[in-house]
Amino acid sequence: MKKTSAGTQREAPTRKSSTPEDAKIHPVVIYPFRQPNDYSDLGELYQLVARLDAEKEKYARPITVMDRKTHYAMEGNKGFVDFRKNTVARHSDILDAWCVDTCQMWYSGLGMAFEKGGPDDVYWLIPGDFNYGTAVGKTVLGHLHDLPEIILELQQDVCIGEIATDHNNSKQLIDTYGTFALLYNWFPAEAQEIRQYTERPRSEFFAVRHSFLKEVLRHRWYAYEQTMVILLQAVFSNKRISRFFVGNISDVEGRESLTSAMQQVERTERVLKSLWRERNQPKAGWTEQYRALESQSEQVRRTALIILQNLLG
Amino acid sequence: MRTSSFSARKTLRAINFVCSSLDAQSVSLVGDFNKWNPAAHPMKRMTDGAWLLTVELNHGHHRYAFLVDSHLTLDPQAHGITRNDKGERVSLMPVS
Repeated sequence: MKKTSAGTQREAPTRKSSTPEDAKIHPVVIYPFRQPNDYSDLGELYQLVARLDAEKEKYARPITVMDRKTHYAMEGNKGFVDFRKNTVARHSDILDAWCVDTCQMWYSGLGMAFEKGGPDDVYWLIPGDFNYGTAVGKTVLGHLHDLPEIILELQQDVCIGEIATDHNNSKQLIDTYGTFALLYNWFPAEAQEIRQYTERPRSEFFAVRHSFLKEVLRHRWYAYEQTMVILLQAVFSNKRISRFFVGNISDVEGRESLTSAMQQVERTERVLKSLWRERNQPKAGWTEQYRALESQSEQVRRTALIILQNLLG
Repeated sequence: MRTSSFSARKTLRAINFVCSSLDAQSVSLVGDFNKWNPAAHPMKRMTDGAWLLTVELNHGHHRYAFLVDSHLTLDPQAHGITRNDKGERVSLMPVS
């Protein structure tokens, strides 16, 4: 079991002698922050992780990122302790990290995998808090391996996994009226490009090539909505993007509350503002343009919140 | 050199491609598997007006599109979207 502190920065000692033929896929599992009472979804997920761990020619040893708060909340629970020891630790290296949110868990896990990887390798993020124990969940688990394989076979830089949701699904509502509306305000050209690929720019299912992950890791890592930032960086630098449909699945948290939806829209706006400033500050007259966009952004956010209130409130 | 575990393996599977461009005069299937040659895989109009072609493909992920009256057209039923070597948006087909 490996323990590291989150967010440690140092030069990565990557594998040097890699060729495309011996490229490896690095699975990174994000363990749920709230431990579910029922282990059927996680049990199904770790059956997949066990298979990956057994295919050592193709996959690097999987990594599971577990928040220390999850660990300490559950350390007196025998079921959790046994599952951690006999299943999670058996089939993956556990990265115990203090994380302020899920995005920091991604950063820590992808960063640790990157340090072990080589120039032709691919990194595959697998969120742990989905209903993999259901019939559709098992089907989705059967498709997830396509994401890193598409990168390797078709020489792509990032592959986004898209899940199907109905128009009234809260995540879809947030993306339609919040994420995309704000993206069209701050980065209109890039937003159109992203939407040509996906309706879920905040998907938690994705795989990324070593060279692009290196760029992403070394850019400033914004606190939230990492998939959206990764997609924007991919469009900015003309990277090869693919989207693959992985199926119908929902996360175990279920329907978002209005408060949670509002927070997500507000977070998206904060990230887009920061990113826009970072890219445009060197240009003359950026402050006037920023003020105009900020004013429009406020209107977009207010409209999104009214719609979400009508639909989720 | 050993074969990459990610390259398309020599397991052929028959795949049906269906294009629902009912008003088209001609439709052909183009992709990596025929070097994007418009003449290689002409599709056949069926009695319901849709266009069909069955092609045997190797295991792996294949890029393809329909040429509908010479216009490159995405497959709305595709499993994914990517770009071909010319940078055009094309469809993605997994074969397992």
